[in-house]
Amino acid sequence: MNKLLISTLLASAMAFPAAAETLRVGVATAQTGALAPFDTPVIDGIHIAVDEINEAGGIDGKIKIELLEKDVRSDAAQTSIATQELVDEGVSVIVLPCDADPALAAIGVVTEAQIPAISTCASSPTLPQIGGDYMFANFPGDNVQATVSAKWAYDEGHRSAYIIYSPDTQYTTMPLYFAEVFEKLGGKMLGEDTHTIGQQDFSAIATRIAALDPQPDVIMTSTYEPDFPSMLKALRAAGVESQIIGSDGIDSPTTFSLGAVAEGLVFTTAGHPTEGSPLEAFNKTFEEVNGKAPETVFNAVGYDLIKVIEAAVIAADGSTDAQTLRDAIANLENVQGATSMITYKGTDGMPLREVSLIRVKDGGRELIGQPTPDASLIPEPRVQ
Amino acid sequence: MDLFLQQTVNAFALGGTYALLALGLAMVFSTMGLINFAHGELMTIAGYILMACGLAGVPFAFSILLAIAAAVLAAIVMERIAFRPVRNASGATMLVTSFAVSMILQVLFQNFISARSQAVLVPEILSESVRFGGLVIGVNKIAAIVTTIVMLIFLDRFMKHHRIGIAMRAAAEDFSVARLMGIRANTVIAGAFALSGFLAGVAAVLWVSQRASVDPLMGFTPVLKAFIAAILGGLGSLRGAVAGGFLLGFIEIYLAAYLPSGMQEFRDPIALCLVVLVLIFRPNGLIPSPALKAEKV
Repeated sequence: MNKLLISTLLASAMAFPAAAETLRVGVATAQTGALAPFDTPVIDGIHIAVDEINEAGGIDGKIKIELLEKDVRSDAAQTSIATQELVDEGVSVIVLPCDADPALAAIGVVTEAQIPAISTCASSPTLPQIGGDYMFANFPGDNVQATVSAKWAYDEGHRSAYIIYSPDTQYTTMPLYFAEVFEKLGGKMLGEDTHTIGQQDFSAIATRIAALDPQPDVIMTSTYEPDFPSMLKALRAAGVESQIIGSDGIDSPTTFSLGAVAEGLVFTTAGHPTEGSPLEAFNKTFEEVNGKAPETVFNAVGYDLIKVIEAAVIAADGSTDAQTLRDAIANLENVQGATSMITYKGTDGMPLREVSLIRVKDGGRELIGQPTPDASLIPEPRVQ
Repeated sequence: MDLFLQQTVNAFALGGTYALLALGLAMVFSTMGLINFAHGELMTIAGYILMACGLAGVPFAFSILLAIAAAVLAAIVMERIAFRPVRNASGATMLVTSFAVSMILQVLFQNFISARSQAVLVPEILSESVRFGGLVIGVNKIAAIVTTIVMLIFLDRFMKHHRIGIAMRAAAEDFSVARLMGIRANTVIAGAFALSGFLAGVAAVLWVSQRASVDPLMGFTPVLKAFIAAILGGLGSLRGAVAGGFLLGFIEIYLAAYLPSGMQEFRDPIALCLVVLVLIFRPNGLIPSPALKAEKV
């Protein structure tokens, strides 16, 4: 009899998780390994948002957020294991690593458990496409970024382009989207080169590009540190003077400390702290909390992620049920994050967010614009 | 023709850096039979010193010296703490120890410095280039080539004429006999580590000045290249390491330069196939170590 009583009590306790007073958010991200440079700043931003909300009494003044964090060591298999552990602990939302590959490794688990998952900063539009109904991204898509930069290049009067990409990850194939849009606009592609991630020496590629006649007006790449500075220096040392366009991966202090070689460089990123913008306010809070200015926009992207979850809980009338939250996230519109307004409604899980176009000027950042690209120009996501 | 010459200069610069890296590995292997996979972390340490010096406003020339000194010191400390206790253990034990040292250091860098890349201020002059007739040669390429030549001459003289250098050669040939002749094992091994740290420090300066940043996992790629170059040249042979480094540099650059663009994606596998091809004809490497008495079935 006692046993029956206890099990009934346990079952009913599970059916009503803590009377919806706390929202349990599972965080399975890379604190160590190759993805740590991207995931750790996002987690810092997440902490700032969670502390801010909890200090104000919780979401809507009543639901506190509880984070359950696990390190996945940048490993796909470990991501899947950690996600399963979090599911077993009864979380309502799961945060997955920045890169599409480990995030996808967890997709079986989250789909099975019907819990919405948001990748910290993966930008490949193929992620939610492959990931299905429970997978959401939290960054402007690669195809959208490439459309913004290609349109800008064309409008600047550049008519010929060259791309350097790496087939190693989805993200580093962004230049293929660029080429597609640039040709659609009427520009001419002069060629392409590939490299491997972690390649130290770009002199052979730079020499070949320098020998091209005519020289390309634009060279586009989505290579990031440490390869990017090496590539840029090699190109400039070989005498290539084309306009170089990069992407959010190079939005980092290194880029601004390169000196003369980086002058005039243009790249797309997730946000820009204009006067009075939420990003400026976030950066200030970040500095107060951590004692130093943010090194990257990924901090603010972490803040955005929690704002999305908060908005979803509010939209679901305070529910912490995973399925209800998934549906709420999928229908969110114009959530004010630190970097941008964020909309999931009408998308497959790849949010509509602002893209900022930045130029390196005198070793600092200059905002060129935050254009919304023409939807008809944006290429279809492709699986590389 | 100009293009070919230009690519050859590129190959010399890259090959030279690989040669320095492979020498660092070979130096330790020849004396104690250890392939030190934590060699790359010595470079990372030197890189962080360069970063710190840049922030503190130390002149670049002086920070180079500090960075190299730090790598030497770190190598000696590494030997004393991690490798001396397992010196008489099997090769596999030492190999696993070196992986452990490498991982521990990487996690320490990630947690105590930053998981993200840190910018290193590099003088503008290193990003510039010089024209020789039709050739455009980057200053950092010239620096890499000159440094390699100077280092090779220095090492050659050191190993031939210096007491510790001679002792190291003797130990490489037959450690037990060398000890019977009164050579102190600790001195020789510490000397080998110090030299490998020195080489790592110099290579780190060349490596970091090209990429202008340092991150916790920076050491992985160079140590991998060094390992391939050392095997290609003949493990344990110093001349072999140099030859292997240059050959690897040439293979990589010429493939990147002349492989048709549709094939470029397969550049790395093709390069490794060429390495394997060399090893099929010369199984003990280009210039095998005389001490290598490997009898293969």
